[in-house]
Amino acid sequence: MIKAVNVTKIFPGRLGPIRAVDKVSTDVARGEVVVVIGPSGSGKSTFLRCINGLETFTDGHIIIDGVDLADRRTNMNNIRAEVGMVFQQFNLFPHKTVLENLTLAQCRVRKRSRKVAEEKAHSLLRKVGIPEKAGEYPSRLSGGQQQRVAIARALAMDPKVMLFDEPTSALDPEMVGEVLDVMKQLAREGMTMVVVTHEMGFAREVADRVIFMDEGRVVEVGTPEHFFTNPTEERAKLFLKQVL
Amino acid sequence: MNATEKTWPWVVLLAVILIGVSAATWGAIAKIDYQWRWYRVPQYFFYLAEEAEKTPADGRVTTVVRNGKNSTVTLAAENGEKLQWQVESGSLRVAEGEEMFAGDTIGFTSHWRLGPLMYGLWTTLWLSAVSSFFALILGLITGLARVSKNFTLRGLAAVYVECIRGTPLLVQIFIAYFFLGTVFNLSRNVCGIGALSLFAGAYVAEIVRAGIQSVAKGQSEASRSLGMNVFQTMWDIVLPQAFKRILPPLSGQFISLIKDSSLVSVIAITDLTKAGREIITSTFATFEVWLVVAAMYLLVTSLLSQVVYYMERRFSISD
Ligand SMILES: Nc1ncnc2c1ncn2[C@@H]1O[C@H](COP(=O)(O)OP(=O)(O)O)[C@@H](O)[C@H]1O
Ligand SMILES: [Mg+2]
Repeated sequence: MIKAVNVTKIFPGRLGPIRAVDKVSTDVARGEVVVVIGPSGSGKSTFLRCINGLETFTDGHIIIDGVDLADRRTNMNNIRAEVGMVFQQFNLFPHKTVLENLTLAQCRVRKRSRKVAEEKAHSLLRKVGIPEKAGEYPSRLSGGQQQRVAIARALAMDPKVMLFDEPTSALDPEMVGEVLDVMKQLAREGMTMVVVTHEMGFAREVADRVIFMDEGRVVEVGTPEHFFTNPTEERAKLFLKQVL
Repeated sequence: MNATEKTWPWVVLLAVILIGVSAATWGAIAKIDYQWRWYRVPQYFFYLAEEAEKTPADGRVTTVVRNGKNSTVTLAAENGEKLQWQVESGSLRVAEGEEMFAGDTIGFTSHWRLGPLMYGLWTTLWLSAVSSFFALILGLITGLARVSKNFTLRGLAAVYVECIRGTPLLVQIFIAYFFLGTVFNLSRNVCGIGALSLFAGAYVAEIVRAGIQSVAKGQSEASRSLGMNVFQTMWDIVLPQAFKRILPPLSGQFISLIKDSSLVSVIAITDLTKAGREIITSTFATFEVWLVVAAMYLLVTSLLSQVVYYMERRFSISD
């Protein structure tokens, strides 16, 4: 499904180049849920953004369903339509209603008729538990509701993969659960997911595999079982001690 | 302004200052012994024009029917045609049975006509409207070029904006008229509109650029992450949000354009300002005419401000 080979991203920082992602290689199989954890600044977001082409990478290959993103001929818009992304800050379109947030890209990119797009939107809003908010503007919704709309918006494109970049980090604690529940349900339904999160409970419960990153590199990979009970790397142990 | 009872001293102070300034102005004018001739002004808004009705052919007047203020005159022309006029009864020059020759006057009619101030205002309004339209398009394109990834586009836009913002509009109008106008054989209206559009376009471009950059980066990233291309993202996501923010400075720019358009009077376009100057040469009512012209500009600009204010409130629904 996703195959990353020696992905490297170098930012031209003010104090010299920053290796945000350094030779990261990993495979994500169809239906697999991979949780990426690691300290702040370890390159998790940058790696995720490389996967859907929001960031170009300096070196390596990312192959999604046989298409290499490093290939200049690859149409990134087509890739992004297949790869859903959920942001820490929700990034809903504030000038559009919830329904319009869900239908816009369906109509523009998938060329669906308005009627079909709206039916899809309503059924997704039911799925994330807020069917009654279709006509509201995002600013009238709570953080948890906004993030659930953002998930529905990404799902409306029928993506092959969903990427989550710390989807609950900007939420008040009491709203974290409702968003995680939606993600758990997605995982159960067999969605392929790459999730950057600090929610260790979620990682333990849902992840098929945990990737621990530090300073742009993959330091440790394993099942949640292995990772949370006896990680081999010192840095992983240190990190776990801090977050658990 | 939370406590109403505390604002009244300031209202009084404001009134006192305004009255003081008015009185001082009045006193200064009284000193130079100015002859006010306000009565001369209204005719430059509207005036009653008398027109002579003349027969185009020889013939005989068959009937003259008076019906109050107007009279209907019927004339049988030599070639058998029947001609008819409505003229004011008091101005009748003919009686029944009279023989007429081509070019003879039957009588007079009078119509209300727009005076030069109204024509000037109209010219100012359409010049500003047309220039605003082109300025908006030019500014939008330039503003987009300013934020584009392409170096050449960015450079071109920057050069244009800097050249326009670094030179006076009056000089630009002269260049447009005496240089470009001569080389390319352009009419003065084209030169005037061109200069105004180029001038305002540069400022609109900066407003558009600032507006686009004020939209959070996450918005375009979210849009791109859904597979929308650069143009769809700009059109559906970034520009609508930018537009809400640029509406106040943009409308300020267009209101400025109405005022700046007075400079085209130097290339002999009869706008409101030029009309004012022409009226003064024939009436010598300098103070009255300039005050009236200023009031007309003020009326237009404040009406426009009200419209913009209303639109802003409409657009803020989703906040
Ligand atoms: N646009 C950028 N320009 C320069 N440096 C960046 C940019 N984005 C991220 N970085 C740097 O790359 C590194 C990794 O960042 P990030 O991927 O956001 O880490 P994480 O998501 O794990 O907190 C950090 O050192 C950060 O400062
Ligand atoms: Mg991050």
